[in-house]
Amino acid sequence: MSVVAIEHLQLALSGNQVLREVSFSLEEGECRALVGESGSGKSLTAMCLLGLAPPNAVLNAEQFSVMGQPLPAQGHRDWRGWRGRRIAMIFQNPMTALSPTRTIGAQLSECFRLHRNMDRRQARAESAALLERLAIPRAEQRLSQYPFEFSGGMLQRVMIALAVACRPKLLIADEPTTALDVTVQAEVLALLRELQHEQGTSLLFISHDLGVVANIADTVSVMYAGETVESASVASLLRHPAHPYSEALQAAMPRLHSREITVAIPGSPPDMRGTIQGCAFAPRCKHRMAICEDSPPLLISPRGAGVRCWRWHPDYPERWRLQHD
Amino acid sequence: MMIKFVLHRLLWGAITVWFIATATFFAMHAVPGDPLIQDKAMSPVVRAQLEARYGLDKPLSQQYFTFIGNMINGDFGISFTQENRRVNDIIREHFPVSATLGIAAIAIALVGGVLAGSIAAHYRGQWPDKLVMFMVVAAISVPGFVIAGLAQLIIVKLNSAAESTVLPVAGWGGVNHVWVPALVLGLGTLAYLSRLSRAAMLEVLSSDYILAARARGISGVSLFFRYQLRNALLPVVTELGPAVAAITTGGFVVELIFAIPGLGRYFVQAVQQLDYTVIMGTTVFYGAFLVVIVVLVDISYGLIDPRIRLSAGRS
Repeated sequence: MSVVAIEHLQLALSGNQVLREVSFSLEEGECRALVGESGSGKSLTAMCLLGLAPPNAVLNAEQFSVMGQPLPAQGHRDWRGWRGRRIAMIFQNPMTALSPTRTIGAQLSECFRLHRNMDRRQARAESAALLERLAIPRAEQRLSQYPFEFSGGMLQRVMIALAVACRPKLLIADEPTTALDVTVQAEVLALLRELQHEQGTSLLFISHDLGVVANIADTVSVMYAGETVESASVASLLRHPAHPYSEALQAAMPRLHSREITVAIPGSPPDMRGTIQGCAFAPRCKHRMAICEDSPPLLISPRGAGVRCWRWHPDYPERWRLQHD
Repeated sequence: MMIKFVLHRLLWGAITVWFIATATFFAMHAVPGDPLIQDKAMSPVVRAQLEARYGLDKPLSQQYFTFIGNMINGDFGISFTQENRRVNDIIREHFPVSATLGIAAIAIALVGGVLAGSIAAHYRGQWPDKLVMFMVVAAISVPGFVIAGLAQLIIVKLNSAAESTVLPVAGWGGVNHVWVPALVLGLGTLAYLSRLSRAAMLEVLSSDYILAARARGISGVSLFFRYQLRNALLPVVTELGPAVAAITTGGFVVELIFAIPGLGRYFVQAVQQLDYTVIMGTTVFYGAFLVVIVVLVDISYGLIDPRIRLSAGRS
């Protein structure tokens, strides 16, 4: 049973179709990265998984379930047992994601008390143990400190502690290292991976950084203009990107020991306020064909993965596909 | 650290009070006339005797130093208009009345303002928000004495409709005498604080930590009190000092209209009659009172926001 199964997820915000076609699944213990540029709908997809889409959102999906259970409607009461307990999230900027006027201990032990019915003392002991497990020195004393007394890296550890406190089945990490120093990034990533293996959690890792993704994820879904355009294993996506957008992303990745100049993707993402006809990436695509402008591409599965591009259609000239295999 | 901070602030407060006392003293003496001018003509002999008794025959500088000396000893002398009544007694008897009214008004303004602001912020753009904002504009625009009159009119109508005394129109005595004047007195501040807390709450509601808290499953009452209210309260507390000043000065008018025997009435009367000792006594007392309130408000910042560390150098 997949931990997350999303099929044909659509979401409109005041009439604008911002998520047009999101489909992916996440198996137990798997780490799937959600990759794409800002505005592609990565974070919004994550918010939907927590029932926290904006109140004016209209959501539609063929399948939208976690651990085999369909998720409640956005903003509904029934989310109570899900958020923080079965699904948890790590936010991008740890500096702003903690209430500045409450101690770390108060915010952390609150999770234990709320979701695991512990009493005050138990929750505090558990909090200290967890911080210690996450390599925060002097955990006991740090519990009575406020967020402003922590460094960014330490705070992100606290955020991770808050998220894993109740051993959720699904952990969503929304660019958890973007706001951190490069030296701290690696530590936080290592910690996340370690915890994921230890707890058997499934991790949905949102990022725009393919380098980070290569480091942590097993599988990748590439998002473009509210659509998952390609899903594949990390290795195959990095070596043989099937979708022209994935290809362009991969080419835009800076490389060490290479004299190749990174290539920026020409053009800009489509305006989500209008309806998009055909393939959303067509205007920026160098392999554009007549059909791309008329009909949206179907999901085609070469090699068991999924790609939404006419070039992978069985009727497309054989020589192209060969070149990519 | 804390004690040092408080002492530092109190020292500056003492200097402020001295400045208020000095400025008031000389301004008061610069006003034409003196407390001995009355309706009836007074013979020069009687007048000279009275002047000698109150020390008004001495040069102004000497009167000033006598006053400061007495003030340091906590003695404000005897009232000119109310014979043989010591100013200290007037303050002791009537300040508790003003304080009761003021505390009630502050409490109503604080609780009502924060509540109204929070409701408006949570229903931003919807009818509760529009209703609150309309009331706020009305309460800020209409002067206190008009609202006081209207409130009395409503009470009169209410009482005659009920054919019994539901609420007293004026006077002082029981708990029921407090509600209406306190509400009238606190209304402007309430309106101001609702605007302030609405803005603060809107900022809190759109912050990452609220989203993160909701993502952890925190909802309802604990989300409101522990996360939203606590963070939205800080700008409101910052305004409490000025709010106390506004309510203290507003109290003079409300006390007159509702015939409440508070200190404000004596203050106004004393100025009208140039009752030197009462003017000085009440002014210095109110000045010192406000200084203490401001120090208390400063201390409360640190309790609400841990990022604010009290230090002696801050003012």
